[in-house]
Amino acid sequence: MEDRGGNDVPASIPSGEQMVWADVSPLIAAACNDLHDGELIHGENFNLFAAMSALEIMDPKMDSGMERNGFHSIEEAIENGAAPIPLSLDRTVDVQRCIDVMDHLLSCEATWHRGHSLAQTVFSCLYLLRIERTSTHPLLHSYCRIMRSTCDVVITAVSDARTHEEEDFFTTAYSLPLKGDGDEKCLSLLNSVEETVSRQLRACKAQASRKKLCDGRGLELAKKHVMSCLSELGSMSKSVEFLRSNAGGPSDGEIECRTTASGKQPFGFDANINSRLSAPTPPRAIQILSWKQAIEFFEKLLNDMDAIFSLPLDLSLENILQFLVQFQKSQPDLVARAHLQLLLVQDGKLYGKYSFHVVISRALVLPEGTSDQAFQENEFVVQLGQLTINLIKILCTNNAWQRRKLGKILQDWGVISIQLELAFRREFDEMLKVSADEILFTRLSKRLIVWAEEKTYWIASRFLLLGFQLELYSPKEYCMVYWYMYVIFVNLLEKMQMRASYPVDDSRRKGKKKRDLAKDVGLESGVCASSSCMLLQCYVYISEGLTMMLAALHNERQIFKISSPFNSEHERFIQHFELLQRANVPPHISYHLFMESTTHVRISNVVKHNYFREVQRILASLRGSFAGDSNKLLELHQLEQVIEHNRIALSVIDQVGASDPSLEIRFEFQHHPFFPVAVVKRS
Amino acid sequence: MEAPTGDREPEPSEFSPSETEYLSYGGEHHLPLIMSLVDEELSEPYSIFTYRYFVYLWPNLTYLAFHRGKCVGTVVCKMGEHRSTFRGYIAMLVVIKPYRGKGIATELVTRAIRVMMESGCEEVTLEAEVTNKGALALYGRLGFIRAKRLFRYYLNGVDAFRLKLLFPRSETPFLVSQSETSDHLAESQFAYC
Repeated sequence: MEDRGGNDVPASIPSGEQMVWADVSPLIAAACNDLHDGELIHGENFNLFAAMSALEIMDPKMDSGMERNGFHSIEEAIENGAAPIPLSLDRTVDVQRCIDVMDHLLSCEATWHRGHSLAQTVFSCLYLLRIERTSTHPLLHSYCRIMRSTCDVVITAVSDARTHEEEDFFTTAYSLPLKGDGDEKCLSLLNSVEETVSRQLRACKAQASRKKLCDGRGLELAKKHVMSCLSELGSMSKSVEFLRSNAGGPSDGEIECRTTASGKQPFGFDANINSRLSAPTPPRAIQILSWKQAIEFFEKLLNDMDAIFSLPLDLSLENILQFLVQFQKSQPDLVARAHLQLLLVQDGKLYGKYSFHVVISRALVLPEGTSDQAFQENEFVVQLGQLTINLIKILCTNNAWQRRKLGKILQDWGVISIQLELAFRREFDEMLKVSADEILFTRLSKRLIVWAEEKTYWIASRFLLLGFQLELYSPKEYCMVYWYMYVIFVNLLEKMQMRASYPVDDSRRKGKKKRDLAKDVGLESGVCASSSCMLLQCYVYISEGLTMMLAALHNERQIFKISSPFNSEHERFIQHFELLQRANVPPHISYHLFMESTTHVRISNVVKHNYFREVQRILASLRGSFAGDSNKLLELHQLEQVIEHNRIALSVIDQVGASDPSLEIRFEFQHHPFFPVAVVKRS
Repeated sequence: MEAPTGDREPEPSEFSPSETEYLSYGGEHHLPLIMSLVDEELSEPYSIFTYRYFVYLWPNLTYLAFHRGKCVGTVVCKMGEHRSTFRGYIAMLVVIKPYRGKGIATELVTRAIRVMMESGCEEVTLEAEVTNKGALALYGRLGFIRAKRLFRYYLNGVDAFRLKLLFPRSETPFLVSQSETSDHLAESQFAYC
């Protein structure tokens, strides 16, 4: 610093009551003299995080407070005319520029949803940062208010749902001005502006402005909102030619990456203005999504929201879990997932209405005479209810995080199953005089155990299957993965079949109309359960078939072998299934058992056993039961492809001889997300 | 932290593995070499504190590869307690482009891992971009599994894999065969860094 007295400091950051500027150059110089080249100040608390957070002052890649070209403060930017109001004295140009600002804000909003900081996206808008300035410009003012309050609503939803992981900073607003008086009335504000604009525009037969989804009184209303938003997005897309021709903007090639429909740079944005707010990491240059990408982003978000609002408010936990798995296939973004979770679990109740003991009791088909009160207060039922809530919340998180969380909660489910079993045995031993109550208790406990175990295996299967979606398995590990899946599926199937076999208690339903009865039975047991069991039976056969096929190829061709200098297949087995093994899911499963069941397998055995033909038979009979369910029918078709291709591959390998070096064998997931087909080529 | 994917580059005609020398961190004169390699190849800006944090605390886990006196690659690691396990961590691995695909990275990493193993580590971890096929193949051959996927781990929005190598427990002895290691190295003629 030139001025040793430290008086000449930037005017934009004045000294205050709590803060005074002081020159530390002499202190730093003295400290430097104490250090020799290559020495490092090291303290106990200077860990990797501290080292990585340390900044090199005046390195533009790290020092966010460094003097840059550009404005030092919002006020300075505004004084220099960076965000004029009106945007032009020419009213037509003013409207054009206003639309550019709106477009760019929309792109910023989408970019924020995609995981960038609010400070560097939406709040790079000078108009938004000083919203009161815009009050003389009703259109811009209302849009900015809506944008601000939308951000606030979204942050609240995401924070409440807590489905976010690495996107943690999504909700970090630092000191950005997010809350504004009267923002909760933004819809009426928007309506009044819209009315005015519409009145002005009606003469020229133009369309009304965009309306945002903020409020949902009932799913039907929400669906209507979604539809109207989608149609507005459609109108926006149609307006692009018009806006571009008016602007005389850049050519088509360049327009692709622009953030406005017109292709023009918007007024009033400064990406660096909040650079000091993006602590603790220095700000990075970010790419704002293009206008086209932003529109696509919001179309996907709206379609995902539509799927959520189409959720039948069904009490069957099985159907809810299936819906969640299906919903996650389209990889919905954080905001949609957060809303789904808020819809499913509110105040610890399903849809904010039904206690989870009710959900569980329906799944169990409670025996006649069970006291609702006693059931509801049973400590295990209370615990299982809580575990079910956690499970639903976890299934709303992104797939990567979801898998890690599922691995962890397996412990809890494993423990409660064991506790239930122990409690049941204890009571049973003490039970010498057999009363009606005790028989009832026995039946109830058994059902509760089976239900808890079934859910445990379901979680385990989801945990293993997500590994494929996340690409966690290498082909060299497929054999052990399919073997473990086979084991889990067999156990899951056993529990599902036990539950499906419970006699439906007619007496509890006597008061109901016939139609309701049919509906109830159809949901939880009967047709639905048996077709689920049959589909699972297909998974069992296919997993077993793939395990054996891979084991035979391993044994006869030595393919898929890793010769690591540091560990063996045993260590990789331990690592992949550590969480399942720790939770005892299932008991008595070990690497040695895997070795025992796969070491001696030959291709000829696999061909003889014909696991895949069994599947074909079941699939044929399943078609009828899934009629009308397009997702299920699609999967049946995929499974047919998988078994057909693998059957052919097996017979080719068998005929040519598994050890023939001219054969090239790969496994590809072209037909099904987690069951591959063997692709055999002769070189 | 990760290493970038390596494109296959034309071989420098004069390359010969016997002329490649591997040294563990030898002092301040090595630091600028490491910093310039990493700064050039990895996107993340690391402060001098980060480099010194590693090389001063674990100089025995930092290796440099020299070809005819030119520094062409480096690996920087650490080890310590992590949730009641003693764990090694590979922080940075870089081989400059023209020297990729020659087993240099495998040799660098293998040396570091061997020191970790001998120092009593139970496992070794690192993160790699899901798109970095070269690095994933390299670590896969060494026995690492993809333990987790980390959603949008990098600032560029790309997911990461957490890779893990578990050493055999002492009750199940596993011999590190020297000949197996060098056979393996001779085979690894793929592009990675």
